[in-house]
Amino acid sequence: MRRSPVVAAALLAPLALTLASCSSGSSSAGTAGGGTSVIVAASGDTNVQELWQQTLIPDFEKAHPGTKVTLTFDLHGNNDQQNFARLAAATQQKKDPGVDLVASFTDKAASAGLLAEVGSKVPSLASVDPKVVAAGGAGAIPYRASSVLLAYDSAKVPAPPKTLADLLTWIKAHPGRFTYNSPKSGGSGQAFVVSVLDSHTATADRDQMTTGYHKDLEKDWAPGWAQLASLNADVFQKGVYPNGNNQVLQLLSSGQIDMAPVWSDQFISGQAAGTIPATMKAQQIADPTFTGGAAYVGVTEASKHQDLAFQVADFMLQPDEQAKIAEKIAGYPAISMSRMSSQIQQKFAAAAANTLRPGYNPDHASDINNLWDQNVPGK
Amino acid sequence: MRPTPTQSTLKHRLGGLALASPPLLLVTIFVGFPIVVAVAYSLGHTGGPNATVSLIAKDQVTVDAWWKQSPGAYGVLLRDERFRRDLLVTVLVSLATTAIVLVLAWVIALYVRLTDTWVSRLLSALAVIPMFIPVVIASWVILTFYASDGFVRTVADQLGFTAPVWGYTTTAVVIGLVWTQLPFATLMVVSGVQGVPDALIEAGRDAGGSIPRVVWSVVAPMALVPTVIAGTFTAIGTLGSFTVPYFTGPNAPKMLGVDMNDYFQSYNLPQSSVVMAVVVFVVASGFGAVYVWANYRSSASTGRV
Amino acid sequence: MATVASRAGAPRARGRALSTVSSRTSGRVLTTALVLVLGVFILGPLLWLGVRAFATGWTYPSLGPDGWTMHWWQAVFDDPNLVSSAVLSFKLAFVTMAVSALVCLPAAYAFARFDFPGRRFFLIGLFATNAFPKMGLFVALASLFYTLGLMSTFIGVVIIHLMGTVVFMTWIPAAAFAAVPRAYEEAARDAGAGRFTVLRTVTLPLALPGILVALIMSFLASFDEAQGTYLVGSPDYVTMPTQMYSLVLNYPPQVAAVFSILLSIPSALLLLLVRKHVMGGQLAEGFQIR
Repeated sequence: MRRSPVVAAALLAPLALTLASCSSGSSSAGTAGGGTSVIVAASGDTNVQELWQQTLIPDFEKAHPGTKVTLTFDLHGNNDQQNFARLAAATQQKKDPGVDLVASFTDKAASAGLLAEVGSKVPSLASVDPKVVAAGGAGAIPYRASSVLLAYDSAKVPAPPKTLADLLTWIKAHPGRFTYNSPKSGGSGQAFVVSVLDSHTATADRDQMTTGYHKDLEKDWAPGWAQLASLNADVFQKGVYPNGNNQVLQLLSSGQIDMAPVWSDQFISGQAAGTIPATMKAQQIADPTFTGGAAYVGVTEASKHQDLAFQVADFMLQPDEQAKIAEKIAGYPAISMSRMSSQIQQKFAAAAANTLRPGYNPDHASDINNLWDQNVPGK
Repeated sequence: MRPTPTQSTLKHRLGGLALASPPLLLVTIFVGFPIVVAVAYSLGHTGGPNATVSLIAKDQVTVDAWWKQSPGAYGVLLRDERFRRDLLVTVLVSLATTAIVLVLAWVIALYVRLTDTWVSRLLSALAVIPMFIPVVIASWVILTFYASDGFVRTVADQLGFTAPVWGYTTTAVVIGLVWTQLPFATLMVVSGVQGVPDALIEAGRDAGGSIPRVVWSVVAPMALVPTVIAGTFTAIGTLGSFTVPYFTGPNAPKMLGVDMNDYFQSYNLPQSSVVMAVVVFVVASGFGAVYVWANYRSSASTGRV
Repeated sequence: MATVASRAGAPRARGRALSTVSSRTSGRVLTTALVLVLGVFILGPLLWLGVRAFATGWTYPSLGPDGWTMHWWQAVFDDPNLVSSAVLSFKLAFVTMAVSALVCLPAAYAFARFDFPGRRFFLIGLFATNAFPKMGLFVALASLFYTLGLMSTFIGVVIIHLMGTVVFMTWIPAAAFAAVPRAYEEAARDAGAGRFTVLRTVTLPLALPGILVALIMSFLASFDEAQGTYLVGSPDYVTMPTQMYSLVLNYPPQVAAVFSILLSIPSALLLLLVRKHVMGGQLAEGFQIR
């Protein structure tokens, strides 16, 4: 048989590459020695990634020369469970977890006891609302907040609804022009679902479910599920709930829907970048408002560079950095508004930033994901 | 072709086992062992290697001694109407995809076998293209093509009528799965059909048989095993598929691959997720049994066994 | 059955007597229809997205984009993550292919030529273990890799990819080896050649087409591997499929289009180079239990 040169190349190439990558693979582990480098693990959408890569990390490295901060980013939080599994396994086996500061799945990590106790290592925490700090769990440090707003096309919707009841009426009156993402895939959809559930839930029960896990109280949600299911026929494409905050934004921007719940920071950044048309506007609704939430970071218990990691957390809570966060991704500052410049205070006046309605306890949140899937689509 | 018995000394046979052992060992450690651990988890063993995930998992069924098993987790899931619905849809989509793929593969294979023009070459080349497109891209591509602002709807609109929207429906899932599974099945069936000697086909034609008759009585029986192979591989491959249904499918009913991911990632119910994996494995084994049976049947009929 | 005989008859004179199929008009119409339908079905989606890579925007229901631009290509090449993940995917695919060949080919030879206890059982077992959905194995795998110190290592990721290729690399070459007529080997042996010489000069060249097909299938399997890689490889090793998930969900569709084209080019080249081997009978032969 004639030896084809292709065959020869196909057999030699892997050999060459194996040798090449064996030598390069070992050097990519990075210089983890001493306390001069930390790894941050974050997840979310692209605006969060850019915030870390273009603002927080360079600023920290400049303020603390000789340190190195590496970011590992998981877009969309798709692999949160895997990352959590690794962190938990490493903590149990007392091995290096590969991450010193987690900026995603901090709620899960906190409830599993995987975060290091903060104590007095983050002095700036004193200027953050203690309720917000407590809501994150043991070891969680809030660094920014945002809330969900109702976005609409002002050219097609001259009189946007101002309350939840009005919104539901609008949806029924304009079939196919509204949708929200499935709760499991994004916070904007989850906030809408939560608001509908809350409109039927007693405040006392709701408060309990915010700070603790009370499965028996979930029966209060039954009328909410029925109401959400009744919307199916009037939602985009007779009941299509996209996977992800961004999908909904794309539907809104391309004109396939006219109204949707969106994250405030994503909306503002999108308009600034031009991917969301200028005719789109966003506002909060009342009775009840859409929820907001803080984003947390936590230093891992198993980390070998805890001190530096706490320094990073503290740095993020400085007014200068908080101002940059507010500006770059339109996130609300976590520290008290009184410490921010008057410019910032004005910018967020309308959104009543520091009195954001908190979301449910994380265990309830995952139940909401499950129950929504059970009770709404296809009904 | 079975190894000839002349060299079956014990040393020789053990030598063979030794040569074959590296992949066997690797698979045992990195796949077999995790499977055992996973099955144990589904039966209630939340300690040991499963302690990590049990840390914050909810609603778990547990047993307190290592020799006890509990089918509780299975009971919970099988009583869940949503799971039963999704299981049914998954199996049906699998079977539908397999049927469509086999029909297409046979049509192409017959063209290739019975004619030798640029058409047959073009058809077989077309059918193989999807094999070289990564599955994530393939899913996205199918979604944008059949979405409400996709090609199908655009052309229809230009021609003056409204086409149905197939994006985010089970139809799109079937289309996507057919698209990605077609290459392998086509290759199998084509090569199976190639194995039928010209002489037999011509003899059938000379005896006065029409083409369909010849295909049915001569070609099909001889190409049965590759067809069954293609069918079972497609069925097993689509059962647990995640990417295509995730991108193109509806919110309900979902394929079990997506469900497994959701239960694990979003609802914090990893035990249910593992139970689903075991159920999928059992169904896949059922399909696999068909394949083993077909092989033995053909081996027996040709005196190989 | 008639495997060797049919292979020997291989580049056959296709039934000229049967070419009447295509000469009748109804046959012609059906043929054209089939080609069109299959063409649109297979190529349509690819082209639809491909054009988007050069589009500024696209408003429904126009048949063409709003405008043409190359700036999305700039955006993709400017993003260090995208390029590095693609490069890593290729590196991993080649390495996986090589390691898989090293580990599995001797085993394939053993399955073909030696009759050891449990032969069929192991062969089927290799296949059966792959039928278990990977999703259910994540946590067990994580614990195992931590215990073995393989987490976030290149070797760890290679092992994950390897698992997806074992079936291809044992079954298909085994059939290829089995199909090499013993007569040739025995003739060479009689002529005085040593065991390895026979292997090198007789067996391997004849089994090469099958091995090549197995290599390609392994390459593609490694290329597509996403979730296991993420579990073991991050944060240091991010591959293209993982990147693609985020791409299609979080960037404008034009960026996904550019990335798709970039990734499909090497695959298309691979396809063209090895088309002849892939289209031969290796695949079907490979999956029959002997």
